[in-house]
Amino acid sequence: MPTPPIKPIQPRQGGPTTIAPASAPAPLIAGRYDVDFARPRPDAGGGLPAFVASDQGEGRAGLMAVQVRPGAPARAAAFAALARLDDSRLIAPLASGGVPGPDGRAAWFVICRAPPGPALWPTGAEAIRPWSEADLIGRLLRPVAAVLASLEARGMTHRALRPGNLFLDALPGTPVVLGCAWAGPPAALQPAVFEPPYMAMCGPAARGEGVIADDVYALGVTMLALALGRLPLAGLDDEAIIRRKLELGCFQALAGEARLSPMIADLVGGMLAQDPEHRPTPALLADPAAARARRVAARPPRRAPRALDVAGLAVFDARSLAYAIARQPEQGAKLVRMGVADHWLRRVLGDTTLAGKIEEAQRIRATEGGAEDGPADARLVVRVVALLDPLAPLCWRGLALWPDAIGTALVAEPAEPATRARIEEVLAQDVVWTWAAARSEHCNPMALRQESKQQRAVLRQRGWAGGMPRLEHMLNPLLPCRSPLLAERPAARVDEFLPALEAVSGRAELRGAPPIDREVAAWLGARLDGRLDRDLTELGEAGTPAETALRQLGLLAQLQTRLKAPPLPGLASWLAQVAAPALEGWHNRAAQESRRQAVAEAVPSGNLRQLHAILGDPAGREADEKGFAAAEATVRHLDEQLARLAGGTGARMETALRLGQEVAAVLGLAALVAAILAAALA
Amino acid sequence: MRKAGTAAGRGSGLWLQGLLCGALVTLATPTALLGGVLLLPALVVYLADDTEGRPALRAVLLFGLAASLRPLLALWAGGHSMDLSLNLLSDFATPVLAWSAQGAGWLLSQLIPLLVRLTLEAQARIDIARLRAERAKLAEEWGLPTPETDASAR
Repeated sequence: MPTPPIKPIQPRQGGPTTIAPASAPAPLIAGRYDVDFARPRPDAGGGLPAFVASDQGEGRAGLMAVQVRPGAPARAAAFAALARLDDSRLIAPLASGGVPGPDGRAAWFVICRAPPGPALWPTGAEAIRPWSEADLIGRLLRPVAAVLASLEARGMTHRALRPGNLFLDALPGTPVVLGCAWAGPPAALQPAVFEPPYMAMCGPAARGEGVIADDVYALGVTMLALALGRLPLAGLDDEAIIRRKLELGCFQALAGEARLSPMIADLVGGMLAQDPEHRPTPALLADPAAARARRVAARPPRRAPRALDVAGLAVFDARSLAYAIARQPEQGAKLVRMGVADHWLRRVLGDTTLAGKIEEAQRIRATEGGAEDGPADARLVVRVVALLDPLAPLCWRGLALWPDAIGTALVAEPAEPATRARIEEVLAQDVVWTWAAARSEHCNPMALRQESKQQRAVLRQRGWAGGMPRLEHMLNPLLPCRSPLLAERPAARVDEFLPALEAVSGRAELRGAPPIDREVAAWLGARLDGRLDRDLTELGEAGTPAETALRQLGLLAQLQTRLKAPPLPGLASWLAQVAAPALEGWHNRAAQESRRQAVAEAVPSGNLRQLHAILGDPAGREADEKGFAAAEATVRHLDEQLARLAGGTGARMETALRLGQEVAAVLGLAALVAAILAAALA
Repeated sequence: MRKAGTAAGRGSGLWLQGLLCGALVTLATPTALLGGVLLLPALVVYLADDTEGRPALRAVLLFGLAASLRPLLALWAGGHSMDLSLNLLSDFATPVLAWSAQGAGWLLSQLIPLLVRLTLEAQARIDIARLRAERAKLAEEWGLPTPETDASAR
């Protein structure tokens, strides 16, 4: 499979990472792993670019850094599950993180042990000398089966098992080593020939974790290819390979008339069984003789004497019919609605049980809507495909995916709006339940329904803390935040977030806006498991830029405290800048100035809680508002008094005239009384 | 109706005043002569001042009465004759004193309102300055608009 060009922006993988400042000469992954981009490791990354890496902490060499593709996040579960796995036959992940890539732009890498030797068969293009039965069993089957058993015990699958990702040891005759399978979605780089049909029909990002039996299948194809010395079905496109496997059965399709030793033929035949339940377990494969003896003889698929034409495709069996309907859902739905499919199943294929189930699906469809009801037709296709081929993935309007791959399918790049729209429909219309209920013997419908319900709830959650961006991050635990703010300093885990913001805080062009945008909020919401949902939702509510900045400051202060993050002076300065207009909201000029001074003093300490206490302070704000209201009332009263005094000249004149004349009269009266008294005394 | 009543009251008052004056002239001619001459300025004010309540008349009349009391008492004590009345009037100081006192009364009735007005205006200006200072302080402290900013905003 050709490897698409790497886009260095928007890496998708995470692990404990130390982000060094932009000026640091050599940022390390997880604080200890150095990547030497001048020394690439061709063919060592299992289809992804790889470079020599070293552990600066322990001085350990012999490591490699596998570059993660944008839109193809690494497998988060592998880091925890394989942390303590010490198996030299498996290249397990050690750490991951973001550093500037070979082109200087941010990229994400998975650190793991470098392969001991060259890839077994890097390209698969040319033929090789066929392996002997002893080599196939001793160097390939037994060691790989042991590794798979170990993975199964940890609840993991490999999903990148192919000759190009198996490595030879330096010593001849030693067992092969399984390559890195953790730097991308499961089976994302697997060619269709190495995958069972029900996986190959899904897109690279839509295959899901699968089961260990899918690794057994890939091991079977690998064994077959090495036994033949050539890649089976080379030259056929993916669709032709899938159809051939469905029509003939996988072993027949891949091996054809090739001559194989009876032992290998029996083992590979069992490993390539259509039904994963019929394939031998890794533990059983460790004893090839026992695996051969216990091989389940699967009944060959029933083949019709006459083909059914589905949109130009001639199908002869039920699984091929399911695949054809899944590929051509509109024509397929029409065939089913018109009764052509069940008639063919009953009369030509002779499977009355299956025909009865399809008739039942038709009846359900009739109750769901009219003939032109597209969603009802799509739902019919989901049911019919699941009934015809219970092993098939969920097929909704041309999209085939496994429910556990919804997350990786959503973020796959290049982004396809149609795929995203289909996945939204799958979640919004509870299609997973429809699919699971139709194949309940192969899955746990209630668990799937519950999971789908939770995803739907997130999708419907309004505000910055919900919706599709949050769902994407929730379903991809190691998907770095996709905000342009953190494009240069990716953060995949919540403890990387504040250091990343601190690292980019010096960029003047970012400082015009607050440090949390919609993408950051969605990412935080997913990583914090709803612990700050209310605060995050409030961020998206309308408000002045200063109010928004203040809310963000409060939230980041909480984060700094909870995560016990170190001082963040750069971020504090950024927040102080964007939240500065909040100080204008303080009415009391003295308080405003003193707080401005306090902010300037608090910024270098990098303590966001202290900064928030200065800028936020609801009690102080309330007191300020009350004081302002009182001052306003006083000023109103003063204005009234001033107006009264300014307009009181006339009244004062009148008062002065009346009072003056009264005084004059009183004086006159006093003079008269004095005259009377003087006369009386005289 | 009210105007008619007021005019009627004023007319009857005038008639009563005329009757009293007539009775005084007829029954106490020396007193009427002496009082008339001494209170001549008050009579002039009475006739010239048509303001409501004739406030100046009260001061003039009271000061006039105060200055005329001694000659009138002398007239009444000396036998209340026309000769004595004329004799008292012939003393030039008597009418001058009475008229001066009435002049002073008129002057006071004009000056005192002016002084009171000046006092009130001064007090108002002090109050305005104090209130403006208080307002400016509040405006500066709380960032409130000042009359100047209001004017510039307009």
